[in-house]
Amino acid sequence: MPEAEAIRLAQQGNAAAFERLYRLHNRRVYSLCLRMVGNTAGAEDLTQEAFLQLFRKIATFRGESAFSTWLHRLAVNVVLMKLRKKSGTETSLDELTEPDEESGGPRRDFGGPDLRLSGSIDRVHLQRAVEQLPPGYKAVFVLHDIQGYEHNEIAEIMDCSIGNSKSQLHKARMRLRELLHEATRDKAREDRKAASADSGGED
Amino acid sequence: MALMTCRAFLNDLRLRMEGTPSLDAEAHIRNCPSCRHITEDLNAIHSAARSWRAEEIEPPAHLWASLRLQLEREGLIRDDRGSQLELSNSGWFSRWFAGLPRPALAGGYLVLLIAVAFGFSRPANRQANEARWLEGTQVSTSPLSAQLTAEQVSFASFNDSNPAVTASLNKNLAIVDNYIALCEKSVQEEPQNEVARDYLYEAYQQKADLLAQMTERGENNR
Repeated sequence: MPEAEAIRLAQQGNAAAFERLYRLHNRRVYSLCLRMVGNTAGAEDLTQEAFLQLFRKIATFRGESAFSTWLHRLAVNVVLMKLRKKSGTETSLDELTEPDEESGGPRRDFGGPDLRLSGSIDRVHLQRAVEQLPPGYKAVFVLHDIQGYEHNEIAEIMDCSIGNSKSQLHKARMRLRELLHEATRDKAREDRKAASADSGGED
Repeated sequence: MALMTCRAFLNDLRLRMEGTPSLDAEAHIRNCPSCRHITEDLNAIHSAARSWRAEEIEPPAHLWASLRLQLEREGLIRDDRGSQLELSNSGWFSRWFAGLPRPALAGGYLVLLIAVAFGFSRPANRQANEARWLEGTQVSTSPLSAQLTAEQVSFASFNDSNPAVTASLNKNLAIVDNYIALCEKSVQEEPQNEVARDYLYEAYQQKADLLAQMTERGENNR
């Protein structure tokens, strides 16, 4: 059943059409949710909630935007609402970034010869760092760098300008770099402690 | 020509990452290890994220069962008959065992469900869980259960032209009813166990499958 036909039948309450739409998009929505929240239980809840909202509103879909964009907009909103509730604040997308990031220049001059990340980023570290991003940064980073959306699509999904999407992506990457360096430093510190404990034990 | 400062480079870094580097920035990066490392780090982050892109993860199978149940509860699925026929055509049971005779399958299904039912039946917390079951799962599955019972009543006088088929279908229906009773018992004892709840739902699906077959055969015999 083609997607357009499934949409038309789902608008009439057809069960097979609902399932068809779910099967067409469930992987992408679930992957998005999983990368946003970092755990399967949370991702399952959010995926179900996103599809529920989709099916509750499907009668109002008139095809002005692509169906997948509409669905992903719902999914991102569901995830952002969840993350906002989790952080205990009701804030706008812009407020979900960090307060001193809009000052024009970088907050500090990152980097140095001893802090290169290249070749040392594994998924576990990256996922942990992504989880620590403010929700607005996280959404743009996951959508662009992981899910492969273009800025114009993200602007439509997140109801922001293309420039805002580009700006948030850059800040997200810079923040991720900082978080990954912190993790690298913490790991080096732990390794040194373990090494000194081992050498102390040998004495 | 004055060389670009690190601050100016960092201000332009976003444009560079978007693929529009300036000559000044290129000259700066050749002579500034610190800014070069920042750029390399950002490229490494981008590459690591891109390597995730191809991996779309399949959500667990029970998610659709749970979603569908919710759609039924909210009345969003309106074509009841269509939904039953669709279950018979697209259920996991039908897809996996499409070519095998139903009576033969019923025995295997019984074994599987009994194993599951007993596997998840633990005496601990029975009383505490009873209340949760009554408030939770029983509410969520009762519309489906009631609908299936209503459909079954309408087949009370079902008679296929082949008496052996009639007997087989009725026998399988009785077996599935037993599965359902076993699964309900398991879920009552462990209402928080999602796997047990999924099996209960699938037992309902199997019943819907059988009833749909009886519908089809009934219509073909007219």
